[in-house]
Amino acid sequence: MKKSKKLAIALPAILLLAAFWLTRPLALSSSDLPEHTPDIVAGERMFWVGGCASCHASMVDGRRARGDDKLRLGGGLELDTSFGLFRVPNISPHYEDGIGSWSMLEFVNAMQRGVAPDGRHYYPSFPYTSYALMPIEDVMDLKAYIDTLPAVAGRIEDHALSFPYSVRRSIGVWKRLYLDDRPVVDVDTGDESLLLGRYLVEGPGHCGECHTPRDRLGGLIPGQWLAGAPNPDGEGRVPNITPAASEIGGWSVRNIANYLKSGFTPDFDTVGGSMVAVQENLAMLGDADREAIAAYLKAIPPVE
Amino acid sequence: MHKFTVRIGVILAVVLASTVAIGGDDPAHERHELMEGVRDAAKPVGGMLQGELEYDADRVAQSLEVWAAAADELGGLFPEGSEGGEAAPAIWEDRAGFDAALVEWRDAIAAAQDAAPATLDEAGPTLGPVFNACKNCHDTYRIEEE
Repeated sequence: MKKSKKLAIALPAILLLAAFWLTRPLALSSSDLPEHTPDIVAGERMFWVGGCASCHASMVDGRRARGDDKLRLGGGLELDTSFGLFRVPNISPHYEDGIGSWSMLEFVNAMQRGVAPDGRHYYPSFPYTSYALMPIEDVMDLKAYIDTLPAVAGRIEDHALSFPYSVRRSIGVWKRLYLDDRPVVDVDTGDESLLLGRYLVEGPGHCGECHTPRDRLGGLIPGQWLAGAPNPDGEGRVPNITPAASEIGGWSVRNIANYLKSGFTPDFDTVGGSMVAVQENLAMLGDADREAIAAYLKAIPPVE
Repeated sequence: MHKFTVRIGVILAVVLASTVAIGGDDPAHERHELMEGVRDAAKPVGGMLQGELEYDADRVAQSLEVWAAAADELGGLFPEGSEGGEAAPAIWEDRAGFDAALVEWRDAIAAAQDAAPATLDEAGPTLGPVFNACKNCHDTYRIEEE
């Protein structure tokens, strides 16, 4: 009797502790940062393949930024989802309103562990599950590049999500299920172009975030990798881009690389929808990067 | 008998005429057909620019003519009440912007026709603005159909 009473008190406490432990943010410490002098030019490449501007660039007259306006990362875009309203933050180097005050370690933890400088979890609408695959050096280069961009004033309000999604702490459990820094697809490790393509697509390019369907908890389904998914910010579907895809499956490596460079399909239709901004970003890369992306897309498992 | 044949003839003529009228009064269909023609004219030129086809100045000139005619006609194919298809609502909400995008395209075509590029090296910079105009306009004024 006495024993079970003790248990009745102890059990909830143990469960609470366990929950607290399971949901805690897992951040890197300064000793995890490698000796590396950040390279701004390399960081610019990461900026374009990473697509930072597509979400974070301030809108101009209610339209998406074009040209040099893509370098003004004041945020403010609103993503109206079934979880509630996400507001994209200011990541310009503005000291108060942006991320100008962040240390290198804080930036790396945001990008690769989804942890904010104040220790809170970020929602995975910020694709840190993909950025986790990047070598830390590449993330450091990216910060060095973003530091050179214009400081944009204006703090963006926090997300307005519905319960239970509003409980940030619960993301800790989600991360334990889905935050993984290992590559998704096995490729021939003797082929440097394929390895580069895998890195660009699975890591900074975060292609899977839109092109791969998600399970009920919002995690990507590995067996359906890049097989197409409902459009997260609108109607219709994001297409299948595996070799089994009805349209893109028939494109050659050269067709895909040309499309990413020019925005024209082999039939000379133009790129559309949310892919327009992605294609414009990828057009900023070198030919070898686009060819590597194309080679990887031809090498992944075909999914109907 | 003769009267009956005439009557049938009249009825057929009326039916036929009204079908043609409907067909001719479907701007959504017409603009789609027109853009298909534009795309067909782009294929060989795009192939040349990407180095997959040998450069052919005559073929480029032909395509420029197709595009020039299309650019002149296209603006008239979006009357009030013809919303739908791949045409974005922005066309009717921001008519001036749409018209400006068409002018950008038409001007780029005219400049390319004046330049009449004889070699692939000349063609790249001359035709680039024509292709960019396609993308710029579609970006705002076309929506993707499933």
